[in-house]
Amino acid sequence: MITLPIIWYLIICLELALYVLLDGANLGVGIVSLFPQQESKRASMLTILGPIWNANETWLLVAAGTLFGAFPAVYSIGLNALYLPGVIILIGLILRAVSFEFHAFSVHKRPWSFAFGLGSLITAIGHGAALGGLLSGIAVVDGHFAGGPLSWATPLTGIIIVGVVASYLVLGYAYLIRRMAYENQHETFSRLLTTVGITFVALAIATLFLPVQNFLFFTRWVEPPSMYYLTAIAVGIVIASAFLLHAVIRHRHAERLYPLALIIFGLGFVGMLVGTYPYLMPPSITLFDAASPHNTLVFMLWGIGPILPIVLLYNIYLSRVFRSDAHEVRANAYDI
Amino acid sequence: MDVLTFSRIQFGDTAAFHILWPLMSIGLALYLAIMEGMWLYTKDESYYRQLRFWIKIFVLTFAIGVASGFPLSFQFGTNWAAFSNAAGSFFGNILGFETTIAFTLETASLGILLFGWKRVPRAVHFIANLFVLIGASLSGFWIVAANSWMQVPHGVAFVEGKFVVTDYLAAIFNPDTLVSFAHMWLACIVATMFLVAGISAAVLLTKNAADATRAFFLHSLRYALMLIIITTPVQMVVGDMFGGILEANQPAKLAAYELHWNTNPPGTGASLNLFAWPRADGGGNVFQISVPNLLSYIVVHTPDGEVKGLNDFPPLDRPSVVDAIITFLSFRVMVGLGVVMFFIAVWGIVLWRRGVLTLPAILSRRWFLRVLVAAIPAGFIATEAGWMVREIGRQPWVVYGMMRTTDALSSNLALPQVGTSLIGLSVIYAALAVAFVVFVVRIVRRGPDLTTPIP
Repeated sequence: MITLPIIWYLIICLELALYVLLDGANLGVGIVSLFPQQESKRASMLTILGPIWNANETWLLVAAGTLFGAFPAVYSIGLNALYLPGVIILIGLILRAVSFEFHAFSVHKRPWSFAFGLGSLITAIGHGAALGGLLSGIAVVDGHFAGGPLSWATPLTGIIIVGVVASYLVLGYAYLIRRMAYENQHETFSRLLTTVGITFVALAIATLFLPVQNFLFFTRWVEPPSMYYLTAIAVGIVIASAFLLHAVIRHRHAERLYPLALIIFGLGFVGMLVGTYPYLMPPSITLFDAASPHNTLVFMLWGIGPILPIVLLYNIYLSRVFRSDAHEVRANAYDI
Repeated sequence: MDVLTFSRIQFGDTAAFHILWPLMSIGLALYLAIMEGMWLYTKDESYYRQLRFWIKIFVLTFAIGVASGFPLSFQFGTNWAAFSNAAGSFFGNILGFETTIAFTLETASLGILLFGWKRVPRAVHFIANLFVLIGASLSGFWIVAANSWMQVPHGVAFVEGKFVVTDYLAAIFNPDTLVSFAHMWLACIVATMFLVAGISAAVLLTKNAADATRAFFLHSLRYALMLIIITTPVQMVVGDMFGGILEANQPAKLAAYELHWNTNPPGTGASLNLFAWPRADGGGNVFQISVPNLLSYIVVHTPDGEVKGLNDFPPLDRPSVVDAIITFLSFRVMVGLGVVMFFIAVWGIVLWRRGVLTLPAILSRRWFLRVLVAAIPAGFIATEAGWMVREIGRQPWVVYGMMRTTDALSSNLALPQVGTSLIGLSVIYAALAVAFVVFVVRIVRRGPDLTTPIP
């Protein structure tokens, strides 16, 4: 039966997925900008992100705010346990946000574009550390965090950090190819191929490692019905990846790469949910344990429910307004 | 020093730094909306030039505001997990409203405001500008509502260690919320317009500025001054409303504002301490300079109305001596600067009526311009002082009268953890503040673009 906690769980998952997929591509572009290249290319990368990255980043705040209201126990215990990954993400986000704007006004562009790329990389590492810490299992006793400051730093977390950074790079390259801001297509395709390879190796190792670190995941792979769902998702990922690889190797259908990458990581996200449901913090806290009282969930649904579709439509409108290529956007920037 | 003190310092540090930027974002968003509205209404190009120039500074304030807002919401979980867990069903809910209902509107509209010049019709651009203002103000409303509930926690019951909402309207619109929001929103306008007026005055004071540049900054000076003249007196009236709200809901905090220790006996008035210093052990003042009956008059509006003193509350339920001193001094800084800003506004009115706010007459009023430059920090300092009064005066409670600050802390936090993040964040904040000033000076030196064709 669909109950209020489940509805809120699904809403938060949707918000998080939007954040990871949309901002993941933006973070990927930021990391790509760190690689050696002409400064003008870096500038054009920042230019295509200009109008949209703020709105994309907002989904993180939306998800965090919703989580705080609907599942306060997870917000508090989670951040309590993931203090350092949280600080890493903060530093990355701060660096990225301010260097983006300072870049526009600066005389010497290089330090600020570097800070932007570095901020993106640090944020991605922080995401990996937080996800790794969460999946490694958070010790909870009597509703309080019972681990230490470095409990999140497991070997699994290390692998997941590599996987997350590589995933964002795949999204970033695919996004750049779609927006045609990256002129050397040949080189981009080969780099994309490398990052796809790293991503799959890292995620495959992580998938094997998960049941060792956190027994819950073992049962998910061997017990029905979750094993069927997971198998189906894995097959979907393999098929979509085959299309992606085909397009990359043949250097064709450049416009399909970004949607394909979105599908692959979207499926991966769903797979993670199937693997963990109904736990929000596997294996200790389920969404039912952590949910706010019934009246809060109802009140929040009345407040946020009607707004979310409007926000989504507004963001779609925004991305349509700014769909054309990088050169045109630059002409409209608040150039100084 | 323990984890609690470090966490309080870290939160205070973050909040004090963060508040500067939304303050300017809201103030500049109002200024930009007025400029764009006037441009569309009068078709006068000079308004468009204003819009394009001040938008640059707005962007910087917005970016640093977002960046410094992250650590604030994170700290509720990282350092104040027990509070977040207990109060999440109301407090988190309201923060969720802030991000979903207000902040999304602001960020999405910001893309159009900054980059949409040739891509959307002028009317849509203006609507996006208004949405930025509305989104930013609404954000402010929800944040103040969440904070007001910590001051006056109506509409909730404390059941098995958690807050359960019994009446949402009473909790959101508690007696403190609307007055606090009005006070904060006006503070945004006052402080930001003193910034705009000060920058404009600084340029007008330079010897070899071009005539067109002078005309541009006279324009912004006049509009900023107009908003200052409207908002400064209103702000004082709104501030005065807190007397009654505090007396009814946070009497110990009110007593700390004034270092008022003993309740005045019936038939006598409570005197107002202009300046005072408490005994180290509390319970009374070492010395005080006071005006008889004035406190009764301000709070109760009668010469001998009863005002409860700090000694009426058990020491554990009232601000500590240190907290009381900080509250008392901050309150005087805030009110003092408010009065100073009010008199600058009066001076502005006088000059306006004499018709000297024109070129070149204004250039001979160098003292007025110098005072405006010197007054740039006034609104910011007053706002910081006001928040310190509000938050430190609330101690020892995190949720007034219901949950203590000592019970709000996360479990298993280590001192090095909090120390590292405190130092890291402080260094970043200092660097951001310096970078902001450098970039604003550069933008102002470069001056407005008065030639690029209008889209």
